Amino acid sequence: MKYSQLETTALATVCVLILATTAIGFAPGRRSSSSQPPQRLASPTLGPHFKTTSPDISSPSTLIPTAPIESAMAEVISSQQGLPQDFRPPVDFYSRGSRIRDRDGPRDFYFTRAIYSGYGYRRMGSWAIDFPKADRQFLWGLRRLTNINAYEAENAVRLTDPDLRSFPFLYALEVGRMALTDSEVEALRAYLLAGGFLMIDDFWGTYEWQNFEFEIRRVLPEHPIVEISLDHPLFSTFYTIEELVQVPSVRIARYGGVTWERDGYVPHVRGIFDDKGRLLVVINWNTDLGDAWEWAEDPYYPLPYSTFAYQLAVNTIIYALSH
Amino acid sequence: MSDSTFELLFKFSPYIFQQGTFVLSAAWPSMLLAVVLLVGGLLAVLRYRKVGGKSRPVDRVLLASVRTLVLLILLLCLMQPALVVSTAVPQENFVGILIDDSQSMQIADRDELPRSEFVSQAFGAEGSELLEALSEDFNLRFFRFSDVLERVDGVESLTYAGHQTYLATALEGARQELASVPLSGLILVSDGADNALGGISDSVQSLRAASVPVFPVGLGVERFSRDIEISRVEVPRTVLAGSSVGVDVVIEHKGFGGAEIVLIVEDDNGIVSTQDVTLPRQGDSTVVKASFTAEEAGPRVFRVRIAPQEGEMVAQNNQRDVLVSVQDRADRILYYEGMPRHDVAFLRRALSEDHNLQLTVLQGTAENKFLRLDIVDEDELFGGFPRSREELYQYRGLILGNVQAHLLTSDQQRMVADFVSQRGGGLLMIGGHSSFAEGGYAGSPIAEVLPVVLSEVQLEDEATSPAYSAAEIQIQPTLFGMTHPVIQLADTLEESQERWRHLPPLTVINRIFSVKPGAVTLLTGTAETLPSPQIVLAHQRYGRGRALAFTPQDSWLWQMHHDIPLEDMTHETLWRQLLRWLVQDVPGQVELTTSRDRYAPEQPVRVTASVRDETYIELNDSQVTARVISPAGLEDELPMDWSLDADGEYLTQFTPLELGFYEIHVEARRNGDLLGLETSHIEVADLSSEHFDAEMRAPLLQRIAEETGGHFYTPETVSALPEDIGHSDGGTTVLEVMDLWDMPILFLSLVLLIGIEWVYRKLRGLA
Repeated sequence: MKYSQLETTALATVCVLILATTAIGFAPGRRSSSSQPPQRLASPTLGPHFKTTSPDISSPSTLIPTAPIESAMAEVISSQQGLPQDFRPPVDFYSRGSRIRDRDGPRDFYFTRAIYSGYGYRRMGSWAIDFPKADRQFLWGLRRLTNINAYEAENAVRLTDPDLRSFPFLYALEVGRMALTDSEVEALRAYLLAGGFLMIDDFWGTYEWQNFEFEIRRVLPEHPIVEISLDHPLFSTFYTIEELVQVPSVRIARYGGVTWERDGYVPHVRGIFDDKGRLLVVINWNTDLGDAWEWAEDPYYPLPYSTFAYQLAVNTIIYALSH
Repeated sequence: MSDSTFELLFKFSPYIFQQGTFVLSAAWPSMLLAVVLLVGGLLAVLRYRKVGGKSRPVDRVLLASVRTLVLLILLLCLMQPALVVSTAVPQENFVGILIDDSQSMQIADRDELPRSEFVSQAFGAEGSELLEALSEDFNLRFFRFSDVLERVDGVESLTYAGHQTYLATALEGARQELASVPLSGLILVSDGADNALGGISDSVQSLRAASVPVFPVGLGVERFSRDIEISRVEVPRTVLAGSSVGVDVVIEHKGFGGAEIVLIVEDDNGIVSTQDVTLPRQGDSTVVKASFTAEEAGPRVFRVRIAPQEGEMVAQNNQRDVLVSVQDRADRILYYEGMPRHDVAFLRRALSEDHNLQLTVLQGTAENKFLRLDIVDEDELFGGFPRSREELYQYRGLILGNVQAHLLTSDQQRMVADFVSQRGGGLLMIGGHSSFAEGGYAGSPIAEVLPVVLSEVQLEDEATSPAYSAAEIQIQPTLFGMTHPVIQLADTLEESQERWRHLPPLTVINRIFSVKPGAVTLLTGTAETLPSPQIVLAHQRYGRGRALAFTPQDSWLWQMHHDIPLEDMTHETLWRQLLRWLVQDVPGQVELTTSRDRYAPEQPVRVTASVRDETYIELNDSQVTARVISPAGLEDELPMDWSLDADGEYLTQFTPLELGFYEIHVEARRNGDLLGLETSHIEVADLSSEHFDAEMRAPLLQRIAEETGGHFYTPETVSALPEDIGHSDGGTTVLEVMDLWDMPILFLSLVLLIGIEWVYRKLRGLA
């Protein structure tokens, strides 16, 4: 693993900030005693596969272990209802209107989560996995690590919402359960062809791939899905990523064991390009970046996973904003 | 009073009066006359004082005045007034008759007869009074002229096919031709529609010095009753291939106020643009802006024309050809975006298929961290924004996106200002949270360059008012912007306007409501919360370059918005046009200009090169050569020398002989290192400008006459010409005394005064 001192410090700072903020937002009386031992940080499946470097600063350094803050971790695990109130979106995210939500006007970037139809999963549907904590924690990191003028809160928009096209970056996960309606297919196709960018995350194995492939074929039947190799600019726009890491779900990451789920043994980053070579869709398969963002503050969540998840997502966003 | 009336009343033409000296030829001494007049007058006064009668003092004053006038006229006649004039000795002198042989003489604006008809009747027909009168006293020498002067035996050889009319050349040539003979004058038969670039002053001065009077005979009307003329077409000399080219067409029109016409721009392949124009009822002139796309690289001739209208006097002046050098080069633009935002991606996509614009992106992604895109080599922009002029000046255009002013050092800010003013580059600032005043640019050198007035620091109460919040604005072109090539979103003006009406609103953070004096606003935006229209797109010249301000921060919505169809090209078209225009006139280190773009064969071409170093300081010690390639492929290498008149200016000249396009390459070197290479084209063609400004230019002809001591005539007054020219100062002359006492005006005056006295006395009962 090669890290620059600067990046490592930045990432560590982000995690500490997230921890501190989360800790402040939760009631102290609800601390749990089910904390995990710190040695679980070192997952045996991670070390050899994880290797990133900064494109500009080549001095190697080591990861800084996150200090365990048991109380904060316990609160996060126990409930997602304890989110800081000042992060509530100012308008109902089901029906976004203007992008202007305060007097400063629209931000330069909204981390927009796609609300799509799918097989039921929890109360809100599969689109809402990790929502909104993962989005918020990722935005904390994004704003800290880059100078992107990003909107601080989550921004979930239905695929059929006309305002979707006001947000050229779209994130969707658990697409193994996706079942798009015809109007959603039409809207997503128009979104992508008009200039939108879709980042897919958190689906595993052959069955879920086939489901997603079926759905995305309905959207973009004319463009093939191709493997994106590590020499693609996607892996070097901000951080230089030299190896793909399989980011497991939080339960596996925290407790150790194999990193795959179902038959999704190998992580892939695939893409769909248009005729002019523009990348329309980035597909993170057999990996779960969202969980890594969501649990980045967890002292028992392995830092290499969250670091990689942040790096790949930051790269993807900067790539989408510049290509 | 016309010349003929004058001659009827005063016996001689005005010219003879002008030439002659007035004398009183009576033998009586003047003193004696004065005494007689005084004594007579005194006696009359004394006599009338005693005779009162019924008359009032007013009557007596009036009658005395009338009677005095009568006496004075009689006295004047007794004094034998006369003119002493020079008179040419018959058959001792020569007269040159210069006849315009150009195409404008075919214009039928004189009783529906061509102007040349007068020449045929006056100088060619059997029994022509004018010709006979002239032949009686003078030896006649005929010349025809257009762009050159040629001696002819008579008017039979005239063809009226000349492409140009050079009056000065003709007059000077005739003077030299007849310099060895006694010359009474030159008769210039022309419409006066001179096409020469230089004036006629030098020629007139030499004629005056040689005492050769010119007697112009002006043919044609001074103002057409019904005509449309494309009097001027302004178009960029050089454009990038695929650019939208703006054309300013000046249309002169008489008798067609309110008429609806179609302006057509076409090239060899057909029509490239049409525009409906309603000619204004007020005034004779209107400027129409048109635009078209120049696709194919190389020298291209575009014809701007208006279909001939019914009843037009001259149809040939409804079209003009212009030469545009369409260049297939890649102009480099540096886009510095302070932070990642969608504009970069969408702008790059908009330009992705434009091979003539090479956009290099420097995008700040974190503190002191940059993403460089489309760099030429690994060293380019390695340290971030350029820190030297050499580094910055390699680009022709510079876009500042969301860049806080403090991210640029004061030296870099000064350098950006110099990039525009000295290097002549194009600067564009795009709106955003860190642009304009919000980016801290107020008072900076860059703010001086920008065409807009940056808002002042807001007071607390202003800062909370809606007027200073972000706003969604609906954008529309201004009246001027409507026809600007950058703003054209469709083939026709109407379609373009319709397109603008339906574009979705954009948001603005930067409150900009006014532009600087001299700046031009092309787009404005309105919103209910705004106190006045927001300036959206404005530009101004600054020094050698151009600065633009585009204040919205999310123009990518014109690509992404759900109201925009997928096939819509508004975003791409606008940005391509905007950035091409930004760098269109940006000079390189070597600039090449010719005085004109189209020449007639054998017309000298003057080539001027301006040479600068990498920091755009003029160089006087470089080695500059021009390579001229003729249409047949013959190459000629011409050294260019420093002009001494201006720093960095080098000159040479050549004379084209072939018809077609000449290619001119200028190469500048210093100490063996190449400074720059520039290419331009000229077209050599049988140019005819005879049908433009073809109305008879009486003021010019009158000036020639007055300054040389001649007189101006029209076909109606030309009968006086033979006598007048006989009294010019030129040639071999004798003095002649011409009596004036028998002028009809004197007799008529006497009759009138006596009649007035008689009628007055009858009316007053004094008779």
